[in-house]
Amino acid sequence: MKKNILHETLFYLVVIFISLMVLFPFLWMLSSSFKTQTDIIAWPPKLIFTPTLQNYEKVFGEQDFLKYFINSTVVGGLAVGLSLVLGLPAAYSISRFTQRKLALFILLARLMPGISFLMPWYIIFSRLNLMDTYVALVLSHMLIALPIVVWIMSSYFNSIPVELEESAMVDGATRQYAFWAIILPMSGPGIITSVTLSFIFSWNNFMFSQVLSMEKTRTLPIAVYNFVSYAEVDWGGVMAAAVAIMAPAIILTMIFQKFVVKGLTMGAVKG
Amino acid sequence: MKKMLTSTVILLSSLCLTTGAFAQTKEIRVLLANHPYGELLKTVIPEFEKQSGIKVNFESLQESQLTTKLTTEFATKSSSVDVFMTRPLQEGKMFNKNGWYEPLAKYDFSDYPKPVMSVASAGSTPYLVPLVTEWQVLYYRKDLFQAAGIAVPKTLVELEEAAKKLNSDAVAGIASRGKGAAAVTQLSSYVYNYGGLYLDKGVAVFDQPAAIDAIRYYGKLLGTYGPKGVTSMSWENIMPLFQAGKVAMWTDASVFYGQVVDPAKTQIPAANVGIADLPAGPKAQSPFIVTSWGIAVANQSKNKEAALKFLDWASSKDLAVKGMLANITMARSSVWKDPKVLEAVNPGLVSTRALAAEKGNAFDRPYMSAVGEARDQIGELIIESINSKGESAKLPEMAKAKAARVNELLKDAGEYGQP
Repeated sequence: MKKNILHETLFYLVVIFISLMVLFPFLWMLSSSFKTQTDIIAWPPKLIFTPTLQNYEKVFGEQDFLKYFINSTVVGGLAVGLSLVLGLPAAYSISRFTQRKLALFILLARLMPGISFLMPWYIIFSRLNLMDTYVALVLSHMLIALPIVVWIMSSYFNSIPVELEESAMVDGATRQYAFWAIILPMSGPGIITSVTLSFIFSWNNFMFSQVLSMEKTRTLPIAVYNFVSYAEVDWGGVMAAAVAIMAPAIILTMIFQKFVVKGLTMGAVKG
Repeated sequence: MKKMLTSTVILLSSLCLTTGAFAQTKEIRVLLANHPYGELLKTVIPEFEKQSGIKVNFESLQESQLTTKLTTEFATKSSSVDVFMTRPLQEGKMFNKNGWYEPLAKYDFSDYPKPVMSVASAGSTPYLVPLVTEWQVLYYRKDLFQAAGIAVPKTLVELEEAAKKLNSDAVAGIASRGKGAAAVTQLSSYVYNYGGLYLDKGVAVFDQPAAIDAIRYYGKLLGTYGPKGVTSMSWENIMPLFQAGKVAMWTDASVFYGQVVDPAKTQIPAANVGIADLPAGPKAQSPFIVTSWGIAVANQSKNKEAALKFLDWASSKDLAVKGMLANITMARSSVWKDPKVLEAVNPGLVSTRALAAEKGNAFDRPYMSAVGEARDQIGELIIESINSKGESAKLPEMAKAKAARVNELLKDAGEYGQP
């Protein structure tokens, strides 16, 4: 009995310690977003302060973050959507016909430093007059989303017994129909996982958007820098913008957390 | 499926067409920095559009994003930028070498101080117009000086004495940047005041005795009387300390003055903040005065006439006066004598600028293409010196190795031995 209590207290101490480590920067950011500039830099830090909404007013009033929100959502949504259209059949094919080389090739695109794509992209997009359009950004963000979709989904499809489609095909269904009517409806958790992860990666992407977007299509991570001026940083504004950007990602993860864990571990034990 | 493909192709090509159609009207693309002067320009651009009939598409970016964007656009030779704000010391040499600046042979530069012009031109033809200057000053707490019964230091010896007297557990005697590469600019004036230089005619000379003495002094000062953890501090960390009243003296660029006395940002009353010349060293009193921002026309621009018109307007005296009234320390000399300006601007700023414009040095860093790596090299010396409170026996040897490395960088870029 005594041993049990000792174990439990130890367990919770470790849990609290780890949560503090993880949550502290986040809580700091959250509280700073409600502080004035003087309160933010106060030393010792002010734990009790009069909260202010002025930072959020700046984010959504002066800076028009709503526009950047829409930009990020459109780019992320289209990039993930198109990646599903191309990636799901690709993943299925890789899984069923064991196309290892193709899978490796797609992974290679992800392993290459993103910056090496930027110059050629810039040249192509500017010659085609596609700079500052969603087309350029969506295409570039598909480089982020597509490999994630393909890799998660091909291992997910591996975990679905082949016999299911085979029996459908024996009954006269085409492979395309079997994929559409049998495999896809079973792949919910996997699809949700790949959508969540690839959307978050696109949402957070800085490098591609920095070069390929301009005023009209600027995305959120770039817009945070609107609060960093020469020799002056508006910490309250930065913090409020960061909270606003993180909120959708956190909500998305919280809703789909169960699926994400399941989707990622699915197929992991299958040789 | 086929239908979908054709319709996407049509959609894509129609998108291309619509964006292409705009090019017929007279318009220019301008890249501005997230800088108070950029903000000012944004508000008055509509006036320019009305009087000139030129449409201005502008975009403002944080400084490092701006450099990345300009570099990508110019390097791929597919830029549509016509006019841009630029940092002469950080990117000027590289941009000029690559031929990205349009030479400005016809511009009237007579209103700019000499040290300022040396970064605006290579040899003879200037390629950028200086907008904003800044110089090194000493910020100090008048109330603490009064309480300790000491006067504002005039020499580096007095500066050290004052730091010693003002230093306590609650308040650091003095602060200045200690974070390696970031500290190089603030160390520069100390080096000049000791009679040294970073580069002399394209050769690294910061391993000479004068520069070493300055590095030792800087290290001793900050290592002994500086705030804890000063070797990881740049202005972002020191300014809040000063604003919170934890530092008695601070040497840094004049650009921070506005924020130090702004009641919305600082906890000490503005009346308690003083600004003074950086104290004289054994050899000179030559603080840096640098052109932190300039404006230039892109060599690749296809609308040069309109672009030059915009440049003339954006760097005009009228706007410079507006800038001064918005607390921006403009480069033009004449605005510093404008009665309207003198009435509004702090006299401390005026007097420290006068000294810097007369005796100052135009560079606060080794002026070369590989400036980033050179700063890293010198930064290591600064950290070694602060950590040893200026006593390190290794310093001269380290400096020799670092100078050799910087010389290599100069040779790689073909800048070695060039003035």
